[in-house]
Amino acid sequence: MSALKKYWAIAWISAKSNLAYVSEVWSRLFFLAVILYVFMCVWKATFANNPAGRFEGFTLNEIVWYLAFAEAIIMSSPRVTPLVDEDVRTGAIAVQLVRPLSYPLYRLASNFGEQIVRFATTFFAAAVIAVVLGGVPDNFATGLLFALIVLPFAFVLDFLGYLLVGLSAFWFEDTTGLALIYSRLTMIAGGMLLPLELFPENFRLVLKGLPFAYIVNGPAGLFVHPDLTVLGMVLVNQLVWIAVFSLLVAAVYRKALGRIALNGG
Amino acid sequence: MWNKLFNYLGLAVAYFGFNFKAQLEYRTAFVSQSFAMFLNDCIWLVYFIMFFDRFNVLKGWHAEDVATLWAVTAAGFGIGHSLFGNSLGLARIIANGDLDGWLLYPRALLPHVVLGKMSASSFGDAIFGYVVYLVVVKPDLPHFLLFTALTCSVALLFLGFSVLTGSLSFFIGNGDSLSEGWRNALIAFSTYPMDLFDGKTKLLLLTIIPAAYVSGFPVEALRKLSLLHAAYSLLGALAVVATAAIVFHLGLRRYESGNMVAMRG
Repeated sequence: MSALKKYWAIAWISAKSNLAYVSEVWSRLFFLAVILYVFMCVWKATFANNPAGRFEGFTLNEIVWYLAFAEAIIMSSPRVTPLVDEDVRTGAIAVQLVRPLSYPLYRLASNFGEQIVRFATTFFAAAVIAVVLGGVPDNFATGLLFALIVLPFAFVLDFLGYLLVGLSAFWFEDTTGLALIYSRLTMIAGGMLLPLELFPENFRLVLKGLPFAYIVNGPAGLFVHPDLTVLGMVLVNQLVWIAVFSLLVAAVYRKALGRIALNGG
Repeated sequence: MWNKLFNYLGLAVAYFGFNFKAQLEYRTAFVSQSFAMFLNDCIWLVYFIMFFDRFNVLKGWHAEDVATLWAVTAAGFGIGHSLFGNSLGLARIIANGDLDGWLLYPRALLPHVVLGKMSASSFGDAIFGYVVYLVVVKPDLPHFLLFTALTCSVALLFLGFSVLTGSLSFFIGNGDSLSEGWRNALIAFSTYPMDLFDGKTKLLLLTIIPAAYVSGFPVEALRKLSLLHAAYSLLGALAVVATAAIVFHLGLRRYESGNMVAMRG
């Protein structure tokens, strides 16, 4: 079996197994509905105090759709860190090493399959809620196409960040805290709650220079404001950050392998 | 009756001591999880203060009010689940048949089982709540005493709510995801001012998702130093606890043993 086929099969199995957990999906969608409703109330109150009816080019409806798309990305992010942490702690990673697979690529494929299913279900529900709350946005089809082009790279970048946190289990007693802080950075610095364009300018410049912006803000921003120049800029930044994170993962993983001690028995 | 009550308070203190010592056995993990949650709450608070300041979401709401809202919610959640950590995982305990071991003790089942574990990250929430209230709001003695009383009331409500949602597992099988989703919805509504929501939503927040008693009434009580609002909060918490106890015991009649053979230390 060619290398690509192997990882494709892993992604496919992961996607199928994720579809089996219906109660988990409903719970996620219930929380999503609550969150979007809360956001809608907050932004309605905010827009009521702004006679111009726009914030940095965003209308209320665009904000709702931005938040729906961003929330779907964050809520579909699989919990890869605890899996890697468990593999390291239980020694299961040693079993993975004897398989004809690269461990990081195995995790990437599995993560990718799961995330696609989670995103599709979450975004479908988010879109239904957003239509009810604010109607269909302008440029829906173009926006969706542009966002879907950059979305796979956003998933890979998101995965690499969490994998790095998970691999820290080779050195730290517990990675839960680190994963929590990393996820909050992705939410806030990535622009899940507030488009980066609405941050004060000095903050915005810093945040646009970080990888989190290209996990959440890039795809969600393109969805509501599709623009070819921005599409190119987001893609370039995603590829650069994926290259940087891949090198980091390779270096950390190589160093981590040196710390594995196997005992017979 | 009083003897029994004091007896259970003694049990709670003893369990807290044991649980705390157990957490300290994994000192690094405990400290890192508590600190990460503290940092996580700080990130959210800074974000929300910036958001309310920049967009003038609600007239008359200042940084101190946002800090009070977060302090009372976080401290209440933290105290509730530091002391009664098993309430967070009650749905899973029931679904897995893990109540078997607890049923063997000569103590009332519900208070005993929820006392059985401490949540390390909740400890960070509790510390955060008090630090923020003391440092950001800088209360006088009456405000601080009222804050302390209110955090105990909110802790009681979170305990009751976790038991209530966890007890769903008696009726629907594994209710772990639903329980978590419902609790997250309560937290989401509790971290925003009640004034943002309309009449129908407020009715929801007084009943199915009782956020009004977590942050709505407590924040008003602290802003106006109003014992009436504090009493509303306490009454709400007691109602949730009473409902939770009734639902748990109704559900217990349907409980089936997991027939699991396990060693308990």
